[in-house]
Amino acid sequence: MSLHFFAGPWLAPKHLLWMWQGFLTTLWLSLLVAFFATLLGVVLASARASTVQPLRQAATLYTSLFRNTPLLVQLLFWYFGLPSLFPDGTMDWLNGDHVFHLLGPLSLRWPSFEFLSAWCGLVCYSTAYIGEEIRSGLRGVPAGQALAGAAIGMTRLQVLRHIVLPQAIRLILPSLLGQYMNIIKNTSLTMGIGLAELSYASRQVESETFLAFQAFGVATVLYIAAIALLEALGQAHLRARRVRQGRA
Amino acid sequence: MKPQTLKTALTPLFIALALASGAAHADKLDDIKKAGVLRVAAFDGNPPFGYVDATSKKIVGLDIDYANELGKKLGVKVEIVPTNPANRIPLLTSNKVDLVFANFTITEDRAKVIDFSIPYIASGQQFLAKKGLLKSADDVKKVRVGTDKGTTMETTLREKYPDTKVVLYDDTPLGLAALRNGNIQALSQDGTKLTAILATLPDKDKYEIPPFAISEEYEGVGVPKGETRLVNYLNDWLRELEKNGTAQQIYDKWFGQQSAQPLPRLFKIGDTKLSQK
Amino acid sequence: MQLAVIVDNLPYLLWGNYPEGPLGGAALTVLLSAGSAILSALLGLALGVLLAIGQGSWHRLLVVVIGFLRAIPVLMLIFWTYFLLPIAFGIDVPGVLSVMLALSLVSGAYLAHAVAAGISGISAGQWQAGLSLGLPRWQVLHHIILPQALQIMLPSFVNQWVTLVKDSSLAYIVGVGELSFVAAQVNSRLMVYPAEVFLLVGLLYFLMCSGLEQFALWVGRHFSADRRAAQRQVPQATVSLTASQA
Repeated sequence: MSLHFFAGPWLAPKHLLWMWQGFLTTLWLSLLVAFFATLLGVVLASARASTVQPLRQAATLYTSLFRNTPLLVQLLFWYFGLPSLFPDGTMDWLNGDHVFHLLGPLSLRWPSFEFLSAWCGLVCYSTAYIGEEIRSGLRGVPAGQALAGAAIGMTRLQVLRHIVLPQAIRLILPSLLGQYMNIIKNTSLTMGIGLAELSYASRQVESETFLAFQAFGVATVLYIAAIALLEALGQAHLRARRVRQGRA
Repeated sequence: MKPQTLKTALTPLFIALALASGAAHADKLDDIKKAGVLRVAAFDGNPPFGYVDATSKKIVGLDIDYANELGKKLGVKVEIVPTNPANRIPLLTSNKVDLVFANFTITEDRAKVIDFSIPYIASGQQFLAKKGLLKSADDVKKVRVGTDKGTTMETTLREKYPDTKVVLYDDTPLGLAALRNGNIQALSQDGTKLTAILATLPDKDKYEIPPFAISEEYEGVGVPKGETRLVNYLNDWLRELEKNGTAQQIYDKWFGQQSAQPLPRLFKIGDTKLSQK
Repeated sequence: MQLAVIVDNLPYLLWGNYPEGPLGGAALTVLLSAGSAILSALLGLALGVLLAIGQGSWHRLLVVVIGFLRAIPVLMLIFWTYFLLPIAFGIDVPGVLSVMLALSLVSGAYLAHAVAAGISGISAGQWQAGLSLGLPRWQVLHHIILPQALQIMLPSFVNQWVTLVKDSSLAYIVGVGELSFVAAQVNSRLMVYPAEVFLLVGLLYFLMCSGLEQFALWVGRHFSADRRAAQRQVPQATVSLTASQA
């Protein structure tokens, strides 16, 4: 019985294509989430370091809320819960096929609601974590740097942009990379809200072909490949930086 | 322990494990009787086949009734393991359940991996949509359709409507929520299941099940592969249920005139095809 | 928003059908995460020690295995342990245990890194002092290094427990009746209150995780470096006091 599952046939090209398409969706979603979550993470970190107390409290509450609830429940809420609160007609628009024409032949298609809610949910969740990483990175920059900037007449925003952030980025980059790897892994949860990413595709292939080992095996290999690629990029960057700094 | 000795110590263990897993095992029917408990996979969100009763919070339904009848016949306790459609076969093949009573359609592909009893209920694949949206089978091409992962509905939709957007959900209630939210415009499922679902909707006047079906589904009991004695036992038991009227009783309880979703019985155990209305 | 509906279903969400059925809901979440926390702590400790002081090809294999466990999505690992491991080895593992196994493996891999980092963080002087007293490496580890390292790492262990509470929600995919699973069941039955149900469930998780987070902070304060330093000062003070009185 067990041998049937190990020595079974290889997957048909049709099924491998499904998984590949799922993988591309995973990568595309991860990219979009990482981009927006990083931007919003900077905003969140600045809010937490702000002198305006309500802002600081709101940011702390946001972080606490989104880090102490499971991502799965958040996604289920975005996809199934939120639409029930919308007024009638909103959902028809959100589910419609809108095409935004840009320059010439280029046009952007409005994504499916599955993709939208997956993206929303993941951005909100990842922002809370990335915001924390950026915050600890900002705190890692010696206070004297900010004071020096203020002493020569720079505004807080200029200090942040020209002095603190560039130094902080060096501290943040490794943990940021870790968070991006988490984003890739977290996309697997969006299969529960109907997004056709890699885990969804592997389940589809498994229920049609019953080759569970092959289907889950291919999906696992692809995930690990993506993570390993990020890890390799991180290592390469580290080596390049050390070379630039003249260290071995 | 030095690495070398560790390796030599563990290798025989690995070989033994690998061999043991392929070794012959005792008959499933005897196992169930000896264990005193029959583990059955059933739905927990698909009225009236398997769903959670609001007051008792227990899983009840047509499939549960069949499972309980079998438990009585075997003289064992019945343990219901809730499942979604995609987990039915994995639960069976990984020996987490003994049988599957979950509106399980008999197909050739599935029969290569597991065994089935003779069908005990039959239906056709239909759609649930807002009133007036779908008038014929062709209209399905234009709408977003949702169904469950790991069902024959998924396969049939892909064969018959290759260009239609199909979204797959983990279970029927999730697809239903998506339908009500407008994420999909039609939900495709077993006609009998859809009838029951329609009856439970608080705003049922807005929805309808157009009268066309795109396939015929014969549902049987899911059995692990190679358990011929168990399959024969089940087939004899099912035929007996039909003969002594229990099958009709169970059907009437859930689909009879007094039930919430009356449907004429077009398939009796032992039939080979759905009788025409 | 309807509150009556939520109050009706609260007991089922909190402990499932118990005692008429198996334990479920939030109670099962707590049990599942506590079990995984203990298992992963043991695993993380063992692997972390091996990672910190191991050498040779077995060590390289360990690095690869731990890397694999940190790279695979938890959902995939749950599919593997729940469906495929029983087929591969013919062992019948009940659902809760296989989810616990998957969670402990991933958690253990993360903790292994934390433990290894903690051990490396202890200054080399401690190692050298222990070895120069003639103690074998294992004893130095057991009596000198680990006690100090563990006190620093304790908050990470508790934080990992918070992560486990959240990851236990994935058991929903394989039908284990913990909080997310019963929430989906209740939602399917009620049909028209998805927002209320998921908000309530989110709140329950939030309370559990925040509680644990506060516990982690308390542990961090209780075992902090300053406190430990203060505790070390006290006996010396009493000794000098008694000495002067003698």
